[in-house]
Amino acid sequence: MITREDIENIALLSKLFVDEKDIDGLTEEMQKIVAFADTINSVEVKSGEFDNINNLQNAFRADEVKESLPVEEILKNAPEQAEDHFLVRKRA
Amino acid sequence: MKYELVAGFETHVELQTNTKIFCSCTTKFGGDPNTHCCPVCIGLPGTLPKLNERVVEYAIMAGLATNCEIAEIAKMDRKNYCYPDLPKAYQISQYDKPLCEHGYIQLSNGRKIRILRIHIEEDAGKLIHNHGDTYVDYNRGGVPLIEIVTEPDFRSIDEAKEYVEKLQQTMRYIGISDCRMQEGSMRCDVNISVRPEGSEKLGTRTEIKNMNSITNIAKAMDYEYERQVDLIESGGEVVQETLRYDDATGTTSSMRSKEDAHDYRYFREPDLVTINVPRERVKEIQARLPELPEKKYARYTEEYGIPEKDAAQLTKYRSISEYFDKASEGLKSPKTASNFIIGQIFRRLETEADKEALDIKTSAEQLGELCKLLESGKLKNNLAKKALDQMLDSGKPVTEFVSESDMAGLDDATLTEYCNNAINAMKNAVEDYKSGKEKALMAVLGNVMKQSRGRADAPSVIKKLKELIG
Ligand SMILES: [Zn+2]
Repeated sequence: MITREDIENIALLSKLFVDEKDIDGLTEEMQKIVAFADTINSVEVKSGEFDNINNLQNAFRADEVKESLPVEEILKNAPEQAEDHFLVRKRA
Repeated sequence: MKYELVAGFETHVELQTNTKIFCSCTTKFGGDPNTHCCPVCIGLPGTLPKLNERVVEYAIMAGLATNCEIAEIAKMDRKNYCYPDLPKAYQISQYDKPLCEHGYIQLSNGRKIRILRIHIEEDAGKLIHNHGDTYVDYNRGGVPLIEIVTEPDFRSIDEAKEYVEKLQQTMRYIGISDCRMQEGSMRCDVNISVRPEGSEKLGTRTEIKNMNSITNIAKAMDYEYERQVDLIESGGEVVQETLRYDDATGTTSSMRSKEDAHDYRYFREPDLVTINVPRERVKEIQARLPELPEKKYARYTEEYGIPEKDAAQLTKYRSISEYFDKASEGLKSPKTASNFIIGQIFRRLETEADKEALDIKTSAEQLGELCKLLESGKLKNNLAKKALDQMLDSGKPVTEFVSESDMAGLDDATLTEYCNNAINAMKNAVEDYKSGKEKALMAVLGNVMKQSRGRADAPSVIKKLKELIG
């Protein structure tokens, strides 16, 4: 059973700020999500543990270099950037 | 009380593939920031990773070279943690089904360091911290790594040093990594604990990160061993934590304690399919592996009778050992070639990097040719040495520097003539010799050698001189 403390811990691990007043609501939501996962888990399956749905194996790529994107494209979605780097500001 | 050191290693080795592990960006070291990147390796939503086949092959090579079992079925997992060096907020790694398991590396003292596992994963980006702000360059993000994890089998710092050197040497031999610690293409974390000598129970361990040379590994282990012993001796307790080694002060400091240990919430990577390694594939890779340094060392010392110290030098780099193997092909005594390499050739290669690069003008075949002339007695040792220097200067074969008459040696009449000249010219030395000073004959020998311009064979000269002096 997911508790308030779990939500707080997950928020901490994912570096998310969660407002005190939202915790109860999130706990309830998370309980439903986990319950749904439990339903999936309860389904009996006979296949081996490594099987994919479509039984794919060894989808490899040859070791051949292709052109990377220009740095402007790479940084296009960066919330902040400086000197061709992604910039992560010090947290206040 | 006496304490025993117990240590284990986790070593990350960057693989020298052309492209990253899950995308076709180059793995070249350096480059302008964020120019070796694409939507896959900066973790944009909707992109799909695709595994580089060579990464699997290289990891299998590493496994075979360290006596591991190669898994038939392996898979990739997500290791979740939030840090700016990982754009996806998870690293694709292997959790419970690594590619290689249960290997070992044998040390010179006969002890085996067991290898628990070798798995493949992606490297993280590079962070540059500046006044609390962080600049992120993802060029290194997605570069393929193998992580080699040992059991806590180390009992001394010397063992640790030898292990790292051996690992480095082996990975370089099989050509999967340059293992340059300074550049970060080989990185070691060490976990250390101490226990009273004779005790079987493991003590609480700490993990040291951030060591960029074998010297620093040794220093950090030494410092941490002493710190833990002092702590226990003074009634304290070792706390399980991750430490950072500071090169400048030679000390370790805490990075994080067990309480803030990450919960990585590993789960199977749903975007990548199962890896299946057929047994024929393992055999085929095994067949292509070069002869490993240990095998070569055994062959050189046991079959060729090369001294251990020389054999160690010959096998240190694959380039040198292959040069030696080629040069000594067909020789009665491969030691002839070994002596030239370790003597005259090494004298021209000052640094370790020079030795590994082995950038010299004389080919192994040319050296072999010289050795054969020496072995057949056609060429005397001093002339051969002189010729090799000229060969190394010019890149030309031995025949350019040694004439037919040099190789023919001296006929008896000429030898007798030179000896008589010397006896007449060096009367004092001859008298000294006659009065019992054996060494005086050497001066006369020198005179003959000079006349013959090195073509005379010293033992024959001495024999002839003794005959003539009577
Ligand atoms: Zn990429």
